[in-house]
Amino acid sequence: MQIIDRQKVNEQIRDLKKKYGDDRSALMPILQDLQEIYEYLPDVVMQETAHSLGIHPVEVEGVASFYSFLRTKEKQGKYVIRLCRTISCDLAGKSNVARQLENEMGIKFGETTKDGKFTLEYTNCLGMCDRGPALMINDRLFAKVDPEKASQIIADCRRDFLKSDFPKVVPSDVKKAGPILDHDLKPAEAIKKALSMSRSEIINTIRESGLKGRGGAGFPTAVKWQLAGAAKGKNKYVVCNADEGEPGTFKDRMLLYEHTDFLLDGMTIGAYAIGASKGFIYLRGEYLYMKKYLEEALENRRSEHLLGKNILGKDGFNFDIRIRMGAGAYVCGEETALIESLEGYRGEPRNRPPFPVDTGFQGNPTIVNNVETFIDSALIIVKGSEWFNIHGTEKSKGMKIFSISGDCERPGIYEFPFGIKVSELLKEVGGEDTKAVQIGGASGHCISQKDFNRTIAFEDIGSGGSIIVFGPDTDMLQVARNFLEFFVEESCGQCTPCRDGNPKLLGGIEMLENGRCSFTYLNELKKLCETIQNASKCGLGQSSPNAFLSIVDNFKPEILGRVPEAD
Amino acid sequence: MAKILIVDDDEDFVSAVNLLLKSNGFDVAIANSRQEGMEIFDKDNPDLVLLDVMMDEPDDGFVMAQSLKKKAKNIPILMLTNVGQVTGMDFDKDSEMVPVDDFEQKPIMPNILLEKINQLLGK
Ligand SMILES: Cc1cc2nc3c(=O)[nH]c(=O)nc-3n(C[C@H](O)[C@H](O)[C@H](O)COP(=O)(O)O)c2cc1C
Ligand code: SF4
Ligand code: FES
Repeated sequence: MQIIDRQKVNEQIRDLKKKYGDDRSALMPILQDLQEIYEYLPDVVMQETAHSLGIHPVEVEGVASFYSFLRTKEKQGKYVIRLCRTISCDLAGKSNVARQLENEMGIKFGETTKDGKFTLEYTNCLGMCDRGPALMINDRLFAKVDPEKASQIIADCRRDFLKSDFPKVVPSDVKKAGPILDHDLKPAEAIKKALSMSRSEIINTIRESGLKGRGGAGFPTAVKWQLAGAAKGKNKYVVCNADEGEPGTFKDRMLLYEHTDFLLDGMTIGAYAIGASKGFIYLRGEYLYMKKYLEEALENRRSEHLLGKNILGKDGFNFDIRIRMGAGAYVCGEETALIESLEGYRGEPRNRPPFPVDTGFQGNPTIVNNVETFIDSALIIVKGSEWFNIHGTEKSKGMKIFSISGDCERPGIYEFPFGIKVSELLKEVGGEDTKAVQIGGASGHCISQKDFNRTIAFEDIGSGGSIIVFGPDTDMLQVARNFLEFFVEESCGQCTPCRDGNPKLLGGIEMLENGRCSFTYLNELKKLCETIQNASKCGLGQSSPNAFLSIVDNFKPEILGRVPEAD
Repeated sequence: MAKILIVDDDEDFVSAVNLLLKSNGFDVAIANSRQEGMEIFDKDNPDLVLLDVMMDEPDDGFVMAQSLKKKAKNIPILMLTNVGQVTGMDFDKDSEMVPVDDFEQKPIMPNILLEKINQLLGK
C-alpha cells in the first residue's frame, strides 16, 4: 500500500488553493489535480482537502463519488481505457471492441489489471460519434477502433509508446458550412461593436434576431440576458455550457476549437450586456485535451486587452474567464446541476424557481448559454439581426449547427436552417434508405419514415443539434435499450420517478426482447412514462421516456413481433 | 384630469385598478400586452404608466420601460409586479435595464397605490 505523507498533501492543497481559490468552489479542480498526482483519491487526501476547505470529509467523499471520472476506491491503472458505449458507437460495433479489450488485458470492464497498468471502463458519448467506435485513453482519443486496432493500441500501451490518432485536437469534419461557420468576421470585431452600443441596444439586437438557445431547450437568449441584466446583484456571472453530453452531439467540440475567438467574443458581450465581471467555461471532462488550448487562447486575449481590466480601453468594463472541468456526468449539462458542480457540490439539479438569471452561481445572477448561442450572439452584433433571422422559420430563427452520425454516407457537422425537412437532411447526408432518425439525442424523439416530411424546428421537432441516422437493419429495441441504459446510468437519483422509473422501463425492454411483455404491461409502462415525464425534477427525467415512447409507438410491429401472444 | 395607462395581462387586477383610479378622478387607458401598450401610449399620450413585468414574455415590462423612456424621457413609470413571488427574483431599479421611477410588489393596498401615483405625478 502506498504510504501518503499528510504534510505533503497539505502543501499540495495549499498550492492548489492559491491557484483555484479557497472557497468551496475550488473543491472540484483541487480534487481533479490531486487525482492526477495520486492516481485516485485516497481517504487521507479527501480528509485533508475537507479540513483545508472547512467542510466535512463526508461532503468531499459525497462529491468525489458522484463523478465517474473521480475515483475514491482504488488506484486506477496507468492507462485508463474508456470505451464509448453510447448509441452511435454501439451500432458501429463497440461490442466486438469490448470483447477484444477484455481478452487482451484479461480483465472485465470496471477492473484494473494486477500490474496496475490498465483500467478498463465504459463511458458515455465522447463526442466522436461520426467516427465510432471511439475510445479514450487518459486524455487521448482514438476513432474508428476495430478489434485489430484495439489490440495494437494495447500493445503500444504495454511498450509505453502510445500515439493518439489526433496529436493535438480532433480535427473537425464540417461537411456543410453556412453563414455561421463561414464568414469574414475578425476576432474582437464583435466586442468593439458591442462596446459602442448601450447594454439595452445589445439585448434588443439579439431580441430582434429571434435567437433561441442552441443547447436544446430553445429559451430566448435576449430574455435570459435582459432578466439577468435587470436582476439585483453586484457580482454577476457568464457561464458557457460546454458540457456537450447529449449522445450524438459533437458540434461544440468543433466550435470550441475552430471558433474559439467568436465564442469568447460572445461571452464577453454577454458580460457587458448583463454587467458581469466573471465567467466560466464548463468544459466536459472528456474534452480535457482541449483545456490547454483554451487556456492559451484566454491568455492571448488577456495580453490583447480583450479580457481583464478596462477591456479595449472601456473604463470600468472588467471581465475574465476561467475554465472548469466536468468529470463525466451528463446531468451536469443541465444548467442548475452545472452551477452546483461549479460551486463544488454533487451535480444535482436544483428546484426552479429561483432561476439562475437571479440566483445562479453562489446565489448571484448568472446566464448559462450553450457554446453555439454565444457564437451566434457575437455574429449577430456585427452583422445585424436581419442577417440572422432571414433564415429559419417563424418561431425558430436562424441557422443551426447539427452533428450527424449513424448509418449515413457522409456523417459530420452540417449547418442547415431551422425548418429543414428530415427528408432533405437525409438526402444531404446520404441516408436515403434510412429506417429511423433520432432527433435531439437520447432525450429526443425517434421518428420513422412516415414522419420524414416533418421539420426540425422548436415548433415541430426540436433539437440541440444531435441527429442519429438508423439504417434498414437496425434493431430498434437495441436502440431503446441503449438510450435507457444511458439514463439509468446518468440519473442523479434525486427523484424517485427518474431513479426507479427508468430501470423499470429498461426491464420492460428486456421483456420485449424476450417476447415476454404483455400488452397490459406495455400499457402500464406507457403510463409510467407519463409519470416520469410529469413528476421528474429536471429535463433529464422529464425527457428520458421520449425515446422509449416514440420507438414503441413508431415501430410497433417490429417490437410487438416479439410478443408471443396478446392477452 | 391625469391619464393613466395600465399595461398588465392580469385582467382581474386591471379591472380592480381601473375602478379604483376612475373613482378617484383619473382617466384610464388599458393594454394587455407590450405591443398594445406601445400603441395606446402613442395614441393617448398618458401622464403615467402602471407597468407589469411578466406578460407574453417574462421580460416584457423591462423592454417596454426601455422603449417608453426612449420615446418620452420624463414619463413616470410605476412598475407593479408579482414577479418576486412567482420566481423569487429581485430586481434593481437601474437607469438602463430597469428604467422605472418606482417599483412595487403586488398585491398593493389601494391607498398606497394612489399615494405613489400622486407622488409621481406631482414631481
Ligand atoms: C440532462 C440535461 C443535459 C443538458 N446538457 C446540455 C449540454 O451539454 N449543453 C448545453 O448547452 N445545454 C445542455 N442542457 C440544457 C441546459 O440546461 C440549458 O438549457 C442550456 O445550457 C442553456 O443554454 P442555451 O439557452 O444557450 O441553449 C442540458 C439539459 C439537461 C436537462
Ligand atoms: S429527474 Fe433524474 S436527473 Fe433530474 S433531478 Fe431528478 S433524479 Fe436527478
Ligand atoms: S462518441 Fe460514441 S456515441 Fe458519441
